[in-house]
Amino acid sequence: MRAAKRFLNRLAGLFRTARRERELAEEFESHFQMHVEDNLRRGMSADEALRQARLKFGGIDSAKESMREASTIMTLETTWQDLRYAARGMGRNPGFAATAILSLALGIGASVAIFTLADNLLLRPLPYRGPGQLMMVWETNLRRPAEKRNVISPANYLDWKARNHVFESMAVFTEGSTAFNDGARVEELEEQYISAGLLPLLGVQPVRGRLFTAAEDLPNTPNVVLISYRLWQSWFGGDEGVIGKQIQVRSQPGTIIGVLPPGFYLRSRGVDLWEAIGLDPARDYRRNSGRYAMSVARLKPGVTRERAQAEMSAIAKRLESEFPAFDTNWMVNVEPLRDSLVSEVKTSMLVLLGAVGLLLAVACANVANLLLARYTSRRREMAVRLAIGAGRARVVRQLITESLALGVAGGLLGIALARWAVLGLLALAPRDLARNVAIEVDYRIVLFAVAASLLTGIVFGLAPSLVASRADLAQGLREDSRSSVGGGGGLRSMLVGAEIALSVMLLAGAGLLFRTLVGLQAVDPGLNPSRILTFSVLIPGARYREPVQRTQFFRTALERIEQLPGVESASAVSFLPFNGMSAGTDVTIAGRPPMKPGEELVATIRTVMPGYFDTLGIPLKRGRVFIAADNTLDSPYRFVVNEAFVQKYMAAEEPVGQQISVAMDRTHPFGEIIGVVGNVKEGALDKEPTPTVYYIHAHLIYTGMVFVVRTKNDPLLLADPVRQVIHGIDAAQPVAQMRTMDDIVQETFARQKFSALLLGGFSLVSLLLAAVGIYGVLAYSVMERTREIGVRVALGAQPGRILAMVLGSGMRVVLAGVAVGLAGAMALTGLLKSLLFGVKAHDTVTFAAVVLVLIVVALVAAYLPARRAASLAPLNALRAE
Amino acid sequence: MGKKQDIWQGTLALMVLKTLDALGPLHGYGIARRIEQTSGDRLLLNYGTLYPALLKLEQEGYIASEWGASENNRKARFYRLTRAGHAQLKREARQWEETTDIIARFFAPEESR
Repeated sequence: MRAAKRFLNRLAGLFRTARRERELAEEFESHFQMHVEDNLRRGMSADEALRQARLKFGGIDSAKESMREASTIMTLETTWQDLRYAARGMGRNPGFAATAILSLALGIGASVAIFTLADNLLLRPLPYRGPGQLMMVWETNLRRPAEKRNVISPANYLDWKARNHVFESMAVFTEGSTAFNDGARVEELEEQYISAGLLPLLGVQPVRGRLFTAAEDLPNTPNVVLISYRLWQSWFGGDEGVIGKQIQVRSQPGTIIGVLPPGFYLRSRGVDLWEAIGLDPARDYRRNSGRYAMSVARLKPGVTRERAQAEMSAIAKRLESEFPAFDTNWMVNVEPLRDSLVSEVKTSMLVLLGAVGLLLAVACANVANLLLARYTSRRREMAVRLAIGAGRARVVRQLITESLALGVAGGLLGIALARWAVLGLLALAPRDLARNVAIEVDYRIVLFAVAASLLTGIVFGLAPSLVASRADLAQGLREDSRSSVGGGGGLRSMLVGAEIALSVMLLAGAGLLFRTLVGLQAVDPGLNPSRILTFSVLIPGARYREPVQRTQFFRTALERIEQLPGVESASAVSFLPFNGMSAGTDVTIAGRPPMKPGEELVATIRTVMPGYFDTLGIPLKRGRVFIAADNTLDSPYRFVVNEAFVQKYMAAEEPVGQQISVAMDRTHPFGEIIGVVGNVKEGALDKEPTPTVYYIHAHLIYTGMVFVVRTKNDPLLLADPVRQVIHGIDAAQPVAQMRTMDDIVQETFARQKFSALLLGGFSLVSLLLAAVGIYGVLAYSVMERTREIGVRVALGAQPGRILAMVLGSGMRVVLAGVAVGLAGAMALTGLLKSLLFGVKAHDTVTFAAVVLVLIVVALVAAYLPARRAASLAPLNALRAE
Repeated sequence: MGKKQDIWQGTLALMVLKTLDALGPLHGYGIARRIEQTSGDRLLLNYGTLYPALLKLEQEGYIASEWGASENNRKARFYRLTRAGHAQLKREARQWEETTDIIARFFAPEESR
């Protein structure tokens, strides 16, 4: 009861502070006056009366203070006082404040930026209904166990769909690009061909119009198109009349029937068009069609992924025995949709999250260290404050307020830094990671940052303040340089040691990634990518019906491009190397017994225009390359293969002159190998080259080809001229993906580059922080030991010895930190394995270099205070307080 | 230094309560003067300890205060005993008597024991 009343009273006091303060002043004033009057009445002189009264009021200020303490709960007012005091303190010592705030800002800024990316890419729920139930269903081949995500055969998909009991529904889609023409303008847009059930399966509703009907999802139906919200806004200006609008896709008439919601995407964020895939249930896709589609499925309620996997594996086994020619060795992999979206960036993101965590830890250790140093040097001040009547709690609160102020300032700066850093990260990030992704710092992450900074402030403010407040009063007041070890000296050394250990780990990771990057740069890609312009042209099959017309288009285009000034040579290919996608199929070598199902010779297949190998600088090893005369329909089938093909499939034989047949087209007659060219790395530089067979265009006609143009100068200067050439042949023909070959090659190691750059940045910052820590600890210990050093010098110690002594005490901490850090790095760099190339996770050279760098930096940081100690004049030192 | 003050404040609180009980409402200066006089000027009251004691008593509800005019018409805050204060005074007085009684026995002449 009474306690409650007291509490209420105090609570009320919180709001009455100003009035109460005024009343107190009045009460004291009247008390004082009464006293003076009394004294006068007793016959004192006016002066004496005042003096006596004042004497009696001696303790009045501390009385006021303790009355104030009693009158509010947490005493907002004293907090404000503490804050002002903290601000003044920082102003007096701007170096300390700036270093501490900057440390925190860097740590928090970097972690918020990385966390923002991770949140967007890994953590945020996918924009679908019940995303946890969604699975990707892939095929896998037992002979290539590393490849977990092979595209699937429509035939298998139809059988899975018919036979399974674990999925509520299954849908299928493929990706491609299409010339989109609204009568005024043509552009090549990314497109997905989807089964009618896909969008309902995902739980996506159109914002305008409707989705596909089952009847529209059949072969040979009119073209109906869904467009993205982005396309609706950017191309049609958000026009409500867009539904029912007549357009052309692939040069055929079509109708827009719906607009999908903003932000909708499935796997690829750049898609603007969706058409029905129109699978033909009557057609045997196993006979004349390969694997090219992807499948999404929704688990029935209560069915786990494992159960679905088990049933799908059983179905795959049955299909294998039913269709041995097509399905031998082909199994099924059921993978959560989210995993399939992020798995490639997951490792990078986790590594970066870990690294940024280490950086934050280093920043916090540094701040704690600075605070400790500051408080140790303020021990006397604290003792004085305690002596004149400040409560212990009050002192602790003062110190925590100061560190909180630092934390908040660092946090705010960190958030500002993070906004800016996220933009930078997106610019640096690999394309598949950042493509069209709308990443912004959201409020939850800002909360995270604020919480992180407050926590840092409290945790790292509390330890030193407890040390400081425990300071023995009398000793604190007497404190001078004679006592050699300051409070928290051991703690500070430990913090510096920790900073160094963490820096070693970061440096080791960064070092390994940089070596990977250097290794990748040095890999021979098998072609010369400099000064090559590439762009893709997809001619509409409906306008170029005859095969001869198709080859003719590309022949004409190349002839005209080669006429352009600044062009050395030009050619075209079905799929560029390094660009991710390629076709592959089975090859038969004449004179050999037929292969058992599932053991066929598999090769990557490209179709090229004459001059392809010369233009890209792919060396000819034997025989000859294609010439213009090979590029006609009536010329005999001829093939060029690469060295990997020869090594793998015809090691002991002379390849040139052998007959092979490639199951790429319906007839696939045998044809002669006329030449062998060098390997070109496929997909990525760190992968082994795959066996490849090259067709000439006339014998394997693609309507979509990628042009490669070798130029004399900057290839991008030719972007406009080549566009005009294409438009000169057909004004309605879009030209897409204009890029240089250099960019494409660089992009294959964008992931490693991204991680290496970030980790490099993090480790530099942490190295800097650790250096500041070492410097701080040693500078402080030199200051503390000034008198001792003076005595040593007076007794005849040479400056060199003093230097060595101080350096040695610093190096003990450094070496301990390095040892711990190396152990940690050994344990952690294994996680990087999948990002590394040409360097082992425990690479001795890298680790040695890291240790060397760290010790050099530490020596520099330690040298400054050591030199100051060595150059002390003994007289001044002895006189030092 | 904390502990000494606590004992002193406890005793001081009893003196304040007794003073208010005897003289009725009084201002701070009056209380201080009265305590000093009653002690025969043997106690020298530091005003710095008086006011915290007054505030504490007020917060505990033993005394209440209001503004009024002093004998020479000066504005002053007058403290008076509340009902809880009366009860508290009785309790404290009894305790005090008991304490002094016990202590007295230690110092009483041998024969009277």
